[in-house]
Amino acid sequence: MLNKRVLTVIKRELREKLISKAFIVMTLIVPGLIFVLLGVQSLLMTSEQKNLKVEIISENQQLTPLIQNELLNSDLSKDKKYIFSFSTLSKDEFKKYLDSQKQNIIDEKLGGIVYIPSSALKDKRIDYYSKSSQNMSLFKDLDGPINKVLIDDYFSSKTLSEEDLSFARTSVDFTGYKVSKEGDIKEEGYGNLILAYLLTFLLYFGIIMIGQMTMQSVIEEKGSKIVEVILSSISPTELMTGKILGAAITGVIQMAIWLSPVILLMSTTIFILPKELLFSISSTVIIYTFINFFIGLLTFIGLFAMLGAIFDNPQDASSGTLPVMMLILIPFFIALSMMENPNRPIALIASYFPFASIIVMPARLTLVGVQVWNLVIATIINIATFIAIFPIAGKIYRVGLLRTGKKPKWSEIIKWLKYNY
Amino acid sequence: MISIFKLNGYFSYYVSININNITGLFMNLLEVRHLIKSFDGLKAVNDVSFSVPEGSVFGLIGRNGAGKTTTIRMMMNIYLPDSGEVILRGSKIGQEFKNKVGYLPEERGLYKKMKVWETLMYFAELKGKTGKNIERKAEEYLKRFDLFDRKLSKMEDLSKGNQQKLQFITTILHDPEFVILDEPFSGLDPVNTNLLKDIILELKRQGKIIIFSTHLMDYAEKMCDHIVMIDHGKVILEGSLSEIKSKYSQKNASLTYDGDISFLKNNPMIEKIENFGNTTGIRLKEENQTQLLLKTLIDNNIIIKKFDANDISLQEIFIELAGNEDNNGSTKKENANA
Repeated sequence: MLNKRVLTVIKRELREKLISKAFIVMTLIVPGLIFVLLGVQSLLMTSEQKNLKVEIISENQQLTPLIQNELLNSDLSKDKKYIFSFSTLSKDEFKKYLDSQKQNIIDEKLGGIVYIPSSALKDKRIDYYSKSSQNMSLFKDLDGPINKVLIDDYFSSKTLSEEDLSFARTSVDFTGYKVSKEGDIKEEGYGNLILAYLLTFLLYFGIIMIGQMTMQSVIEEKGSKIVEVILSSISPTELMTGKILGAAITGVIQMAIWLSPVILLMSTTIFILPKELLFSISSTVIIYTFINFFIGLLTFIGLFAMLGAIFDNPQDASSGTLPVMMLILIPFFIALSMMENPNRPIALIASYFPFASIIVMPARLTLVGVQVWNLVIATIINIATFIAIFPIAGKIYRVGLLRTGKKPKWSEIIKWLKYNY
Repeated sequence: MISIFKLNGYFSYYVSININNITGLFMNLLEVRHLIKSFDGLKAVNDVSFSVPEGSVFGLIGRNGAGKTTTIRMMMNIYLPDSGEVILRGSKIGQEFKNKVGYLPEERGLYKKMKVWETLMYFAELKGKTGKNIERKAEEYLKRFDLFDRKLSKMEDLSKGNQQKLQFITTILHDPEFVILDEPFSGLDPVNTNLLKDIILELKRQGKIIIFSTHLMDYAEKMCDHIVMIDHGKVILEGSLSEIKSKYSQKNASLTYDGDISFLKNNPMIEKIENFGNTTGIRLKEENQTQLLLKTLIDNNIIIKKFDANDISLQEIFIELAGNEDNNGSTKKENANA
């Protein structure tokens, strides 16, 4: 398979891709883009509407000043996130008042009304009236202060000390300790979570970018009729092998550039990260990431090259990429869902599932750690997937390369597999 | 038959041809045996067989869509035949053959962003040729084709004519033993057409085997020693051009004249009259009636400018054998040697 002609194609692919503007720009831009995406996500989560008018009405007259005191002294008022007003109304009065404020709520002159009935002192159930009733952010913000007042009131008659009350008021504070296979138990910050995000995004961008570049290159060869000249010197399989290997090597070089800051942080003590951002990954993770990425690239680039051969122009090809994109997108979202809970059963299955394993396993490895034999199994599955897919992609590539004319249907493409080309 | 006048110009070449003719033993270098290829149930090539003799310019002729390109692609191992084989000096063709061939496909192109020099080196390397020798040769060709000062230009920056020249150079740079040209004159400007003709003749002098396909009978007639005529995927004629012409010309005359020859249409000795503009081809029912035809023309006061007895163009032969597009089903293979 690897002969001089294939090496010649690999050399050309490397020369063409490594010095292309698209490669240089994307290699530099993608890490920045990922940080921007993560930044935008956290910005969206933290940035809320300012000066939201919220009325806090309690049935119990004694509660009103206590809640007022608690909320006005909280950061919520100081940051001007909410403008609170407080009052005391009986249930009947509140009903009438609510009717009178309906229009204001609809017109968004009033953000919402929180009604604390006396029964809340026993069952902690309070009501919220607004145009959008499920304001999770507001519930989270008000939960602490109101809960504190209710707890104080509940325990005030039970002769507890200030210390006991303070204990009761405090929420649970989790500190994460990572238990590794080696038997170490270490306190861990968000570093590994960020790293898992980073690896998932880089794998996703890397595969799509190099895959698309290869697809465009095949379309160019087909569209500008170079392919028949090339096929007079080498076989389609040699051409495809050379193109895939050239592109995969380019991808690995790109990944090495992207991951070099992580490798640098791992291998030196010059840079000191804050405790929350500390991450612990072994060289196994890095080695696995590269091997896995290389196999993944071979598989997906093969599929993208196949798509390039099927279609005559980039427009047709971009609409035809959907099935292959789904093979990348679904595992990508599974990997992202792991950030919330790395032990989801779907993540476990996906980390051994053909195609999905390539994107999911590195994230799983970073977050929960897996044994070497798990990685070996995943690698064998990935190699088997590649071996299974290569002849199919190769056949379609071979048939598609010299075909022109109208965009073929998928049913026709399946028939190509039977052709004697 | 080889003209003595040409011996001065192309001595070595014609001597070798002559020896072959004398001995009558053209060694068949490349044999195409019973090739069949179907696409979506339609037979594009249907049991095509022919032999390419050593030292010949071989023409694969037929109208567009006849199956020439598919045949060539199977010869190049680009398409796998449904059945049949291509034999080179007794063995099935493989990569070794590809390395020995310079192929100029009908639909051709080069990498737009690649520089001229890189393009030449890349295609030579794919044929297994690298090093100083090939670099020197590339420089020679670039100088000869007035492209040496463009060697660092990108392909997309060259004019179409210059891109065509580059395409020729990539085809022959690695010094191939065989040169296969599929419709080589299509899309060429007149300057490059002449250039390519010169190259073909030069390669012929160098002893290369040249196989070219064309639907332009005129070019085939002027350049080929041997032809195979394909129509609707089948071979309808094969043999040496001189023998084919001598066989088909016996009942033929070509005529250049002034006057009205419509009276000939109902003459019992006439089989067919083909008007080619400047000349008219007349096919007689019986051999050796050309003198009678000439007499009839003179008796009817036709002013004869040129009368060429026993002459027939390849196009006339093709039309006679293949007929018109809608008259194709009954073509049968003829052999000039038969």
